[in-house]
Amino acid sequence: MRRRVGIGAIQQQQIAAEKLKDKGTDLQESQLEQMTKQMEVFREKLEEFSISHKQDIKKNAQFRKQFQEMCAAIGVDPLASGKGFWSVLGMGDFYYELGVQVVEVCLASNHKTGGLMELNELRRRLIAARGQSAVHQEITNEDILMATKKLSIFGNGFVVHKLGKGKYIVQSIPGELSMEETTILTLASDTEQGCVTHNMLMEQLGWPDYRARQSLDKVIGEGLCWIDEQDTEPSYWFPSLFPGRTTQLSA
Amino acid sequence: MTDFQWPWEYTFPPFFTLQPHEETRQQQLNVWSELFLKYLKHLNKFTVNINEGSFPLYYNESLNRRLSPSMILQILQKLQSTGHAQPLDKKRQEWQVYWHTLEEYGNMIYDWIQETGQTGSVCTLYEIANGESTEDKEFHGIDENVLVNVLRLLEDKGRCELIEMDGSYGVKFF
Repeated sequence: MRRRVGIGAIQQQQIAAEKLKDKGTDLQESQLEQMTKQMEVFREKLEEFSISHKQDIKKNAQFRKQFQEMCAAIGVDPLASGKGFWSVLGMGDFYYELGVQVVEVCLASNHKTGGLMELNELRRRLIAARGQSAVHQEITNEDILMATKKLSIFGNGFVVHKLGKGKYIVQSIPGELSMEETTILTLASDTEQGCVTHNMLMEQLGWPDYRARQSLDKVIGEGLCWIDEQDTEPSYWFPSLFPGRTTQLSA
Repeated sequence: MTDFQWPWEYTFPPFFTLQPHEETRQQQLNVWSELFLKYLKHLNKFTVNINEGSFPLYYNESLNRRLSPSMILQILQKLQSTGHAQPLDKKRQEWQVYWHTLEEYGNMIYDWIQETGQTGSVCTLYEIANGESTEDKEFHGIDENVLVNVLRLLEDKGRCELIEMDGSYGVKFF
């Protein structure tokens, strides 16, 4: 016997769909509940963790690095607020303190560096400034970068420039570095002595004569570099990138 | 004598070229002035000539960079403005340079005279500059020409009197 299409079948289908929907909502609700519970547990654990590991956060650079990576992976900025969820860790305090020290160190040597300091040098000076207990306060370049990036909220007085190949330079004078200046800095940081010439800009960057001349005049005009006129062609030197300066510092 | 410890700037090639940027130039001249005084003190040298081309202070041989005479003159003029140098000839080629100002030297010598109770007695310039009893003093080894200038200054203040004897000087302190 052939079954005919009847109203009963349609009704049954509707009922089945409704049941499924209800079941779905149930499931969603219980999942949400579970999630909330899990989050609460997580938070509790995090607090427990922070109480027992507070010292590690201050002392262990490796730990901070992993923590930062974790936060980045889940899209959380642990420094966004001093009052938020993550503040229990005391992570913020560590970086705020470091930030203040970065400002102090940079301003103290502005007159010598022209307002530019290479990240490694900044680190050495910071460690020196943090005093004898430096063994307990190991800080990495990542830490400084993190702290320094936070300083950018004060306007353009503090900016970190990436010069490629893991090299960074911290600018501690107000003013924007133009694209040209950043490019020149990058080129200089790739040389052994930290200097560039007019010809280098033309050959290695493919810049036309006037562009190279103009940008060099600009870096000189802003006091970022020194000129040496006793070679076959004038060369432009960045004290912040000159290796001889820092070898004597550490000696 | 131990080797002189050059500052890092001495190995920085543009340090030998006068900088066009105002602030950088001031910074550069400050470092040079300090270096001049330190180096000359190290050598215990009190006179310099602008045209002494191979003098290590003006010429970094390994770097092949040198100060131009006009830049040396600028540095010396800066030192003159703080009382640490003065020209010896009208063309300003030959200069007297001293670690302490004449005033400072004067006070040191006068203090020493009082400490050792030599007021009222006459001593020779050699005693002051090279005598055994001044060996631990800052002014020991002072150039005699500079010393005469220092004593002239004290004389103006009425603290001593220079006496010329057979072409050399003696001095009486009050």
